[in-house]
Amino acid sequence: MTETNNNNQKIEFEEKYLTRGQLIWRAFLRHRPGVIALCILIAMYILAIFADFFSPYNPIEQSLKHTYSPPTRIHRTYKSVKTKPYVLPMISYVDKVTYERTYKEMLFPSKLVLEKPDGSIVTYELGKDGVESFKFSVNSIESIKIDGQWYDVKKSPRTTDYFLFGYNDETLSKGLSRVETTSAVAQEMYFKSYSSKFGLTSEYQIEAVAVTESLDTIVVKKDGKFEMLKAKVIDYDYKTYPVKWFIRSWNGKLLWLFPMNIHLFGVENYDNNQYVKLFILGSDLYGRDVWSRIVFASRISLSIGIIGMIITFAFALLFGGISGYYGGLIDEGLMRFAEIIMSIPGFYLMIMLRAMLPLDLPSTQIYILLVFILSFIGWAGTSRVIRGMVLSIRQREFVEAAVAIGLPNSKVLARHVLPNTATYLIVNATLRIPGYILGEAGLSFLGLGIREPYASWGLMLAQAQDVYIMTKAPWLLIPGIFIFITVISFNFVGDALRDALDPRSLG
Amino acid sequence: MLKYIGRRLIISLPELLIISLMIFLIMYAAPGDFLDQYRLDPSVSPQRLKAMEEEFGLNKPAIVQYLTWLKNVLKGNLGYSFYYRRPVSTLIWERVAATLILSLISLASSWILGIALGVFTALKKYSIGDKIMTFLAFGFVAIPEFFLGLVLLYFAAKTGWFPISGMKSVYYSSLSTWERFKDILWHLILPATALSLGSFAGLMRYMRGSLLDVLNEDYVVFARAKGMPERVVIFKHAMRNAINPMITFLGFSISGLLGGALFVENVFGWPGMGRLVYQALIQQDMYIVMASGLISAVLLVAGNLVADILLALVDPRVRLS
Repeated sequence: MTETNNNNQKIEFEEKYLTRGQLIWRAFLRHRPGVIALCILIAMYILAIFADFFSPYNPIEQSLKHTYSPPTRIHRTYKSVKTKPYVLPMISYVDKVTYERTYKEMLFPSKLVLEKPDGSIVTYELGKDGVESFKFSVNSIESIKIDGQWYDVKKSPRTTDYFLFGYNDETLSKGLSRVETTSAVAQEMYFKSYSSKFGLTSEYQIEAVAVTESLDTIVVKKDGKFEMLKAKVIDYDYKTYPVKWFIRSWNGKLLWLFPMNIHLFGVENYDNNQYVKLFILGSDLYGRDVWSRIVFASRISLSIGIIGMIITFAFALLFGGISGYYGGLIDEGLMRFAEIIMSIPGFYLMIMLRAMLPLDLPSTQIYILLVFILSFIGWAGTSRVIRGMVLSIRQREFVEAAVAIGLPNSKVLARHVLPNTATYLIVNATLRIPGYILGEAGLSFLGLGIREPYASWGLMLAQAQDVYIMTKAPWLLIPGIFIFITVISFNFVGDALRDALDPRSLG
Repeated sequence: MLKYIGRRLIISLPELLIISLMIFLIMYAAPGDFLDQYRLDPSVSPQRLKAMEEEFGLNKPAIVQYLTWLKNVLKGNLGYSFYYRRPVSTLIWERVAATLILSLISLASSWILGIALGVFTALKKYSIGDKIMTFLAFGFVAIPEFFLGLVLLYFAAKTGWFPISGMKSVYYSSLSTWERFKDILWHLILPATALSLGSFAGLMRYMRGSLLDVLNEDYVVFARAKGMPERVVIFKHAMRNAINPMITFLGFSISGLLGGALFVENVFGWPGMGRLVYQALIQQDMYIVMASGLISAVLLVAGNLVADILLALVDPRVRLS
């Protein structure tokens, strides 16, 4: 009994003392998905506004060594001991044997413990005792297997300063490494070269192909001189590049204005190794960081929705208000024009308007253009709804009263009629923003919107159109997920707003 | 009825005229024209350029160009494609079949799915099924069509279960009729899925809302009170009223039949109208654009008309006059 009593008192109190804004806010908070979506949107906008801070790389900086690099693996253990997170240099490596392009992590030795032939043990560490660099000369032997018998077909010495993990790192650790394959490409390649020598008739006679590498000499550059060592490697350390928060790297602009070079996270590339990159979402055709590009592209998608919507509604309020309030010929003319625009299928009209203007404009101009094209298309439908609302509001007593006390038409319209459409406008605006985001993404996807080298989510997806590339680099599809999350968040927030602004829910 | 249809058609004529004029003006105002690519090509002589200008009528004033086009359209000639050097009508005709197969199948599936699930979720309001479907609907509405297409394409490429591009297999011509049918159907599954998933969600939400509104009406309560079986109440009384607003929707869907699949056609390499028009726009192949614009406007008028007539047939309260 007391509980219901309390409840009633509470409701009474709230009705009396809470402002309308507070009531709306409370109703909004009751809508769980809407609140979550609002948080996501706020996070997205923060990401967009401070894009330079959140991007570890310049979004237009290319790195041709990292075409379609997969997301960089962040290691937490070094030789099975837990350490601070670090990354290893990566190289796009075309396998000599399988002719497949894969990314391999690179082993750059930083410390070598060597056992010399005379049994003495020496330690070389980069940067200590004047040791400047290591080089390794390696003997590489290619062999093929015919009828269960291995034949060496080619011997080639080479020098290198790195090894590849999971491929030939045993050359360093054990002095010998061996890679075997039975791939069709390898069979074909070796058949072409050696069929006559071995009298082969079919490439399937080559049962397997192998590359054996052995460590020959280690060249240590010490105090400007080279030491040639024939020694056994007992132990070694390799270079790791620590991943750090708040790191100094490329020069960005905070809020488009203030130069700054601190970024949220990044890799400390202490010796400017061009193979070292931290791509948390992989890289694209030009080796640009997909994450940084997504962050910068969010500026376009997130702002185009809001700016486009504001322009649309300005036009809609002007034309809808005028034609609903004044009626007559103006009304007829404007509404027929709106109908015609509505009767051309939206996306065709958009593409046509885009085609009407030159394709090769600077990106800022294209952006402005897109905003106007998108608003031009959205304008008609909203105008008609506002006209309808104005028509009904015009009949209400308070408008008649305003006219009766002699306010000029423009003031009646601006002060008394249009404010009453605000509820509808807020809800409608939130639900319409996704349309602009999708419109821009679509145009950019077709190559009619934002252009390279600048980024937009739609444009980034266009790179994934090729099936071959898409299967090799599925991370190029990630911008689509960002479009999806943004659009669905706006929809949920719009839904929650509609419920919250509904007078019945304010109670 | 016939009188009504006739009057509607006459009213729509000036609208079509204005739409075609607008499309023409937009295309005309676009910088450059189809011959630009030849002007940049040093191997094309100025005389030849002049001859081509003459041939395509590009040297005449805008109004003359438009009127000539209009005259030809009234005679049933939609013009001549600069790029393909063939009549526009045959070009479009070749593509119409492909687009119609795709869009009709996805229209049908999205409507069947949308209405069925809409009714289901309305009847099982706030159940787990309803909540899941509502969430899915929100999701599908938010996925851009081309992204959904790309994801399906990725799925096809990874599993190898579906073809990744085009409408027919390479060996299509060697197949029997039944196998040809299967082949096209096999190619059709992914693009049709991409197209219908996007639109079914909206339809489902709309149907749900509409049926829920109707279920609160007095006559439904009354029908239940007099002991009618629930099946009859829902399908004879409630559904017939709830479906009315959907029919207006159908009109819009009809207008999108030919042009609505642009993205999906582009992603899946489907040889349809959308791609033809997109390429024509890029190449400023004016008459293809004009013709397709006109066709989609005609479809819009037709769609609205069909929707109104259907509404009158379904709802006895609506009279055409």
